[in-house]
Amino acid sequence: MHLGPFLRTALDSATSGGRRYHLWMGGLTVLIVAGAYAYSLQLRFGLGVTGMSDHVSWGLYISNFTFLVGMAAAAMMLVLPAYILEDVDFGRAVLMAEAVAVAALIMSLLFVVVDLGNPFGSWHLIPGLGYLNWPRSLLSWDVIVLNGYLALNLAIPLYILYSRFAGRPPAKTKYLPWMYISVMWAVSIHLVTAFLLAGLPARPFWNTALLGPRFLASAFTAGPAFVILLLYFIRQTTRYPIADGAFAKLALITTVAAQINLVMLISELFYKFYWPTEHSINAVYLFAGLGDHRALVPWIWVAVALNVGATGALMIHPVRRNPNWLMPACALLFVGIWIEKGIGLVIPGFIPSPLGEIVEYTPTWAELAVTAGVWATGLFVLTVLVKVALPIELGEVRSPYLETPHGPRIVRPRATRRRYEDVRPVRTR
Amino acid sequence: MSDDHTSEPSPSGDTGSLLQKPVDRRGALGMMLAGAVAGSQALGACSPLSGETPEEREVKVLAWREYIKGNYRFMTEEERAETIARLERLAKLRGGVDVAIQGTEAQPGVVFGYAFNISKCKGFRRCVEACINENNLDRRAATQYIRIFEMQDGEVNLDEADATFQHEVPAEGHFYLGTQCFQCADPPCVRVCPVGATWQEPDGITVIDYDWCIGCRYCMAACPYWARRFNWSEPEVPARDLNPNQHYLGNRARKTGVVEKCTFCIHRTRQGRLPACAEACPTGARVFGNLLDPDSEIRWVLANKRVFRLKEDLKTEPRFWYFTD
Amino acid sequence: MTHRRVGAILLCLLAAGPVSGCRERPRPERGASGIPPVPATTVPVDSATAARYARLEPGMLGAVQAMPVEGWAGPGARPFEVARRSAVLEAGHAREFGRVTLPIALRAGSAALSQYPCTSCHAGPRLVMGKERIRDAHNNIQPRHPEQAGAACSTCHAEENVETLALRGGGRATLDESYRLCAQCHFQQAKAWAGGAHGKRLDGWEGRRVVLACTDCHDPHRPALQPQIPFRAPQLHRTGSPRDE
Repeated sequence: MHLGPFLRTALDSATSGGRRYHLWMGGLTVLIVAGAYAYSLQLRFGLGVTGMSDHVSWGLYISNFTFLVGMAAAAMMLVLPAYILEDVDFGRAVLMAEAVAVAALIMSLLFVVVDLGNPFGSWHLIPGLGYLNWPRSLLSWDVIVLNGYLALNLAIPLYILYSRFAGRPPAKTKYLPWMYISVMWAVSIHLVTAFLLAGLPARPFWNTALLGPRFLASAFTAGPAFVILLLYFIRQTTRYPIADGAFAKLALITTVAAQINLVMLISELFYKFYWPTEHSINAVYLFAGLGDHRALVPWIWVAVALNVGATGALMIHPVRRNPNWLMPACALLFVGIWIEKGIGLVIPGFIPSPLGEIVEYTPTWAELAVTAGVWATGLFVLTVLVKVALPIELGEVRSPYLETPHGPRIVRPRATRRRYEDVRPVRTR
Repeated sequence: MSDDHTSEPSPSGDTGSLLQKPVDRRGALGMMLAGAVAGSQALGACSPLSGETPEEREVKVLAWREYIKGNYRFMTEEERAETIARLERLAKLRGGVDVAIQGTEAQPGVVFGYAFNISKCKGFRRCVEACINENNLDRRAATQYIRIFEMQDGEVNLDEADATFQHEVPAEGHFYLGTQCFQCADPPCVRVCPVGATWQEPDGITVIDYDWCIGCRYCMAACPYWARRFNWSEPEVPARDLNPNQHYLGNRARKTGVVEKCTFCIHRTRQGRLPACAEACPTGARVFGNLLDPDSEIRWVLANKRVFRLKEDLKTEPRFWYFTD
Repeated sequence: MTHRRVGAILLCLLAAGPVSGCRERPRPERGASGIPPVPATTVPVDSATAARYARLEPGMLGAVQAMPVEGWAGPGARPFEVARRSAVLEAGHAREFGRVTLPIALRAGSAALSQYPCTSCHAGPRLVMGKERIRDAHNNIQPRHPEQAGAACSTCHAEENVETLALRGGGRATLDESYRLCAQCHFQQAKAWAGGAHGKRLDGWEGRRVVLACTDCHDPHRPALQPQIPFRAPQLHRTGSPRDE
C-alpha cells in the first residue's frame, strides 16, 4: 500500500536540493557520460583501447574492483554493533554505511563488466541458461557472493526504511537473521576475492597465505575511513544527528585495522626481502624497480608514507577526537590504501611475467575515462541513497496512509482519486 | 501546466474510452513520435526498399543463432554439426572465403606428448613462422603462440633469458629453449574459468570454445607458462593467407575479446599429422607423439634421455619435456 | 691472299669447332631450380644391395619413396623406413603450412652438388676420368668432415664407383643408405635417430614411420651447422589496436 508513495517520495528527495547538490550531481553526470562514451569505444574497438597487454592482462579495472569489494565488506563492520549489539551510537550511522556498501558493490560489479572482453556473453554465467563452473572456479564463487551480498544490502535497509516510512517499527524477527548472515557474508566476499588472487601458483606475488588477512585488514581500514568522511559531511550539512561516540568508535576501528595492516606489510616485506628468491622478483619490481623499469616505485612509496603517517597520527588520541585532524588523516589513509591495494597489488603480480619478461603498464585515457565514469556512477548511487534515506530517517516524510497528528486523514479510494495531491507524502515537519 | 484538473491523466484510466482520453501537447507529440518510429521500423523490416539484402538478413539470422547457442562441450552431435555449418556459411558470407571446419573428436587410446631438444634448437624460429601460417594468427597484432628464449649457458633461468633476439643464431654462450602451451595434465587455466569455456579433451589437448569465452582473462592470470593470448582487437588475417583447414576448437576465425592458445594443431594431429611446429623444425629438435603408445618416439625420449619440465614444483604436470643430446 | 681463301679458312675454323668439341659427354639436365635431377634408379652394385632394393615400396607420403632401415630398429623394436633421395632433395623437403611452403630439413639451401651424378665425369675408378678434366671441378665441395683433420674422399667413397659408399670392413652401401656409413662413427646419434630423438619423421606421428636420411640434413662434405638469421622476433609491446593508427 505504501509502495507508490514510497517510490514517489524517493524520486522527490533525489531530484530536489540546493545548488551545490545539483552541481555535484551534474558533475557526476558529466563524468558518467564521458565514461559511457569511452566504454562505447571499448566495445567498438576491443579492449585494445586500454593499456593492458598479454603480459599485464589485468589493469586499472581489476585494481579498482579489488579495492571496492573491500569497501563493501567493511560497511558491515558497523552493522554488527548497531543491529546485533544494539549500540545506540551506531544505529544512525548504519544506514549510511549500508549505502556505502551498496554503492561500492555496484562499482565493483561495473568494473568487472567493463573489464570483460565479451560482455554480451555474460549470460553464460547464469546457471541454467549458461554454465557456472562452481565450485572449482573462484570467480564463480565471487559472482555468487557479490550478487548475494548486493541483494542482502539492498533488501534489509529498504525494508527498514520502508517500515519507518510506513510508520511502523521494523520487525526484528524479519531482518535480524538476515543481518547475521550479512555480517558473515561480508567477510566471505572479501576472502573470496582474496582467494581468487591467492590461489594462483603462477603468480608468486599473490600466492601467499597472508593475502586474505591483508585484504580484510586493509578493507577495515579504508571502509570505516570513508564512512567517517561521509558521516562528517552529513553532520555538517544536514540535521541528521550522529553522536560523537559513533565517530570515536569508527576511528578506533580504522586505527586498529590500519595498525594490523602495517604489521602485515612488514611481515610481507621481511619474507620477500630478507632472503630474496626468484619468487621475490615481483616485489623487487614494485619497491625498487628492475633496471629501467621503475614505473610503480614512486607510487608504492607514497602509499607507504601515507599509510604510516596516517596510522601514526590516528594512534594519537587527540587526533582521533578532533575532526580537523581526523578527516585529513582518514582521507590520506583512504588514498594510501587505494594505491597499495589497487595498483600496488594487481599490477606487480604481472611484472615480470611467469616467463620472466618485463612489460610495463600505463593506463590510457579511455581506460581512465571509464574508471572515472564508474566511480561517478557509484558516487551518484551513494548520493541518491543517502538523499532518499535521510528524510525518512529524520521522520520528515511519512506515507500518506498514516494517522497524522492532526487527526485521521481521509483518503479517497483509488478509483475516484484524480489528483497527485491526494496521494503525495505528507510532510510532518 | 493548466489549473484544469482534467489535464492530468487518470491513474486508473478507466474513465471514458481511450479515444476520448484528454491529452496535452507534450503527450500528443510523444505519442505521434512513437507511432512514427514504430511505423517506420515495421515498414523497413518488410519492405525491399529497406536496403537489406537477403545475404545481410541471413548473416543476421546466423549471427543470432550463434549468439544464443550453448557451450560446445555439452552440445549434442547434431548441435555441433549445426554450429559448424553456420560458421562455415558465415565465413563465406562475411569474408567470401571457403573454409572447412572439422569437429573431429579425440582418438581413443591417444594422449599427446611433446619433447623439445635444447641442444638441437638453434633459435631459427621456423616453428613460429609455421605456427602463424597454420593457425591463422592475427597478423596485425603479430600474435605468436611459441616463444623461443635465448638462454645463458650454465643455468636454466628464464629471468636472464631474452626472447626478442634478432641476430644471427646460434649465438656463442647461449642455448635456446622454446615454450608454448604445455597442455598440462592438471591445468590451472581449466580450473579457474568461471563459465567452463576451456577444458581438456580426452587426448590431452586443452581447448577453448571461443564463442563461450566471456573474456575475463582469469585463465591468463592462472597460467604459469604464459601460454595464452587475448584478442585485444579484431584479429586480421588476409584472405590469401588464410588456412582453410580448420577445427572448431583450434584454428578457426576468432573474434575480439576472447582468449586463444596453442592447441597442438588439433586440426592436424587428430588426423595423424604432426603439429606445424614439429614438422617445420629444420634441426629436428621437436618430438611429438602418443604417450599411451609404449613404442612411440616420445616414450623413447622419456625413457632414454634425461628430461625435465618447467616449474615442476607447481604440480601442473605439463606434457612438454625438455631434453639434451 | 684473296678474299675467297680467307673465307674458306674461316669456314673451316668455324666447322672445326663443333666437329672437334662434339663428344659423348652427357650434359646434366637442369631442372627448374637449376639443380640436376636424381636419376630414377641408382644402379645396385651387388646382389645384396639389389636384394635390399627389391623390398622397396612406393611412398605413401606424397612423392617420397622410402626403403626399410637395416640393422637399426625403432622404439619397441619396430622397423622403420628411411626416405630415399628424391627429386626434391636439394630443395629440402618442403611442406605447406597454411598458404606458405617452408623447407623442413636443415640442408635446404646449402651448397648443391651441381655436378651430380658423379659418373658424369668419373667413369669408373676414381682417378680415371672419362673425359677431360673440367676446370674448377669440385669447387663447391669443401671437405670439412671433421673440421680439423679432414677426411679423404676415399674414406667414404668406394674406389671402384664413387657413387657408392665404402663401409669399414669392405661392405658397400648406396647413397640412399648413408646411415649405414655414418652410424659407423656416429653410433650415438644413430641410436637416437633410430629411437626418434634425432632427425625428422615425415608427415605424421602415427602409422608408418618414415624418417629423413642423414644426408637430408647434414651435408656430408661440410656437416657443420651454418648460422642463420631467425624469423622475426616477437613484439613485447602490444600493437595493432585500430586506435593506434
